[in-house]
Amino acid sequence: MKELPQTVFVVDDDDAVRNSLKLLLKSAGLHAEVFGSAPEFMSKYDAAQPGVLVLDVRMPGMSGLELQHELNLRGAAIPVIFITGHGDIPMAVEAMQHGAFDFLQKPFRDQDLLDRVQRALTRDTEYRAKLRHTDRIRERLASLSPREREVLELVTQGKANKMVAGDLGVSQRTVEIHRAHVMQKMEAGSLAELVRMMMAIARQP
Amino acid sequence: MSGPTTDVLALLEATFDAVVIMDDRGRILAFNSAAEEMFGYRAADALGRNVSMLMTGADRLAHDEHLLRYLATGESRVLGRGRDVRVRHRDGSEFPVFLTVARIPRTDPPQFAGYLHDTTLRRKALATLEKERQLNHLYLDLAQVMLVATDRNGTVQLVNQRAGRVLRKQDGEIIGRSWIDTCVAPEDRPAARTAFRNLLMSGSEEPQSCEYHVRAADGEDRFVTWRGVALRDGENVTTGVMLSGEDITDQRRAEMEARGAQERMNSVSRLATMGEMAAGISHELNQPLAAIANYAQACARLLRLPDPDLPEITGALEQIANQALRAGEIIRRIRSLVRNEDVRREPLDINGLIREVQGLLATDARVHDGRLDLDLHEPTPPVTVDKVQIQQVLMNLVHNAFEAQGNIHSGTPGGEPADVRIATRLTDGGDVEVSVNDHGPGLAAELEQKIFEPFFTTKPTGTGLGLAISRSIIKAHASRLDYRANEPRGACFYFVLPAHVETPT
Repeated sequence: MKELPQTVFVVDDDDAVRNSLKLLLKSAGLHAEVFGSAPEFMSKYDAAQPGVLVLDVRMPGMSGLELQHELNLRGAAIPVIFITGHGDIPMAVEAMQHGAFDFLQKPFRDQDLLDRVQRALTRDTEYRAKLRHTDRIRERLASLSPREREVLELVTQGKANKMVAGDLGVSQRTVEIHRAHVMQKMEAGSLAELVRMMMAIARQP
Repeated sequence: MSGPTTDVLALLEATFDAVVIMDDRGRILAFNSAAEEMFGYRAADALGRNVSMLMTGADRLAHDEHLLRYLATGESRVLGRGRDVRVRHRDGSEFPVFLTVARIPRTDPPQFAGYLHDTTLRRKALATLEKERQLNHLYLDLAQVMLVATDRNGTVQLVNQRAGRVLRKQDGEIIGRSWIDTCVAPEDRPAARTAFRNLLMSGSEEPQSCEYHVRAADGEDRFVTWRGVALRDGENVTTGVMLSGEDITDQRRAEMEARGAQERMNSVSRLATMGEMAAGISHELNQPLAAIANYAQACARLLRLPDPDLPEITGALEQIANQALRAGEIIRRIRSLVRNEDVRREPLDINGLIREVQGLLATDARVHDGRLDLDLHEPTPPVTVDKVQIQQVLMNLVHNAFEAQGNIHSGTPGGEPADVRIATRLTDGGDVEVSVNDHGPGLAAELEQKIFEPFFTTKPTGTGLGLAISRSIIKAHASRLDYRANEPRGACFYFVLPAHVETPT
């Protein structure tokens, strides 16, 4: 899979704030794309693009909070850093409750913003890596036959081959063959690794 | 049987009292014209008949018996003694008289004269007097004022019920005691004494007014405004005073509360306006400050790079300057609002004033995803106004208009934009009408006047003061802030400012 470059997306209705942010991010060696409104961002954003969203809370039309809500509905996992002109605590609380990565009050120190952006990018990278990992597990899981799938479920519950054979009404030998196929298809070196894989996809829907 | 002599009869006719003379058997011998009038019999009809026909009840039945007993024993229950009796008119009606009976000297067999004095009139007079007295009491008690009469020494002679109720005392606890020492609140006694003395010494018939507290039996002080007159006897000697007092405690309290509410309103209005402005201003100022900080920090970073992009840095520095000027402009506008706290009114161009408001409300419009349009009549005559106050009114009205529309569009994408229009136009009289119009839901008819009342609000977090204050400001400009429905929908708040007339100096 091809790695897309990380981008800092900035959405702010104030031209001066938006453009100054773009320059600041650029001066720190980051790639930034700026948008004057939430709908403009939504129309151009592709959830596959890794990065971080720097979002003004108060904007005409669609506010920052509404944009966050919209992203959540679409399952977009991009981390969001809110910036606001007000020390608006209730808004901050609401944003954080809905999964905002952080909250900054304007005007801010460049380092404060850059640190947060950096942390958010790291988290996005990790998250996307995890996502890729579980995607791969799911792909392998999909290649199992129904019988192999049953065997996998029973052995990851900790049952010995003999018990699995009893449960499925087949010979122990047959179970051993299925189990070997499962380990091979799932690219698992041990039962423990197989269990970790199942737990990973259980955590990550 | 011989009757009275003619000169006696002549005498009988001269008296106003009825006189009936009878013999020893009770037969009527003489019946004067006053008796004719009293009983309705003519003398000719009465003569010779038994006197008992004029009597009632027990007297009538027992008269002959009494007469016989007297004649036999000399024992009398009536002779020489006057008494009230009831007698009987020819038409059967009964009425009271005062009767005196005497034996006529030197008559044998004896004759008796009865003098009958009609007490009906006297009774009527007494009854009238009594009724008047009761009526007077009724008047006193019906009076909504406290009434107190005292003698020269200030001892209470009379109080009405109202006074008793205010003082929570029985009449007996007031009458016969010193008015001032018993009923006036201790702190006000010197004042009450002075007023009392002045009243006694005044030669004038004009009532005099004063105010002081009375102390009720339960210790509560009531504030009373008094009118007093001096009472004089026939020789014009002052005998005392009559006071009529109105308990204005509740009224005074209501006035104080109203004044308090007004003052509270004024201070809240200042705070509310300042608070709303402060929120808007802080947002407005934060934008250029944030941009300046970003640009400056970006410049510092760019300059640290090995090969700095100087044109880019120059551009950023220009932006810093622009944003600093933008912030300065915002501050200048705030200063022009605050500085003129108590300026006098001056004739000025209302359209210019409105344009400034448009600039001040730019943020408000943006936040509500709306537009603030102007529809100004040019030219307008100057109007004499307090600029800041009128601007505050307009800001308040525009803010309300955006909020009213926000409720229906809620600023979602695709919703109609919230538009507010400030318009000026000339009235037929050449004055300037200023109106703030929106396309929101407008007002239900029952709310049209209510919304101007202090503390009435339709907003969850409203103070209910904006429109009340706005109206009082416009009122102070000899005009009236009013509401009408906007066409085709929405609300329109408007007021008319009189055109400034140049006075020759």
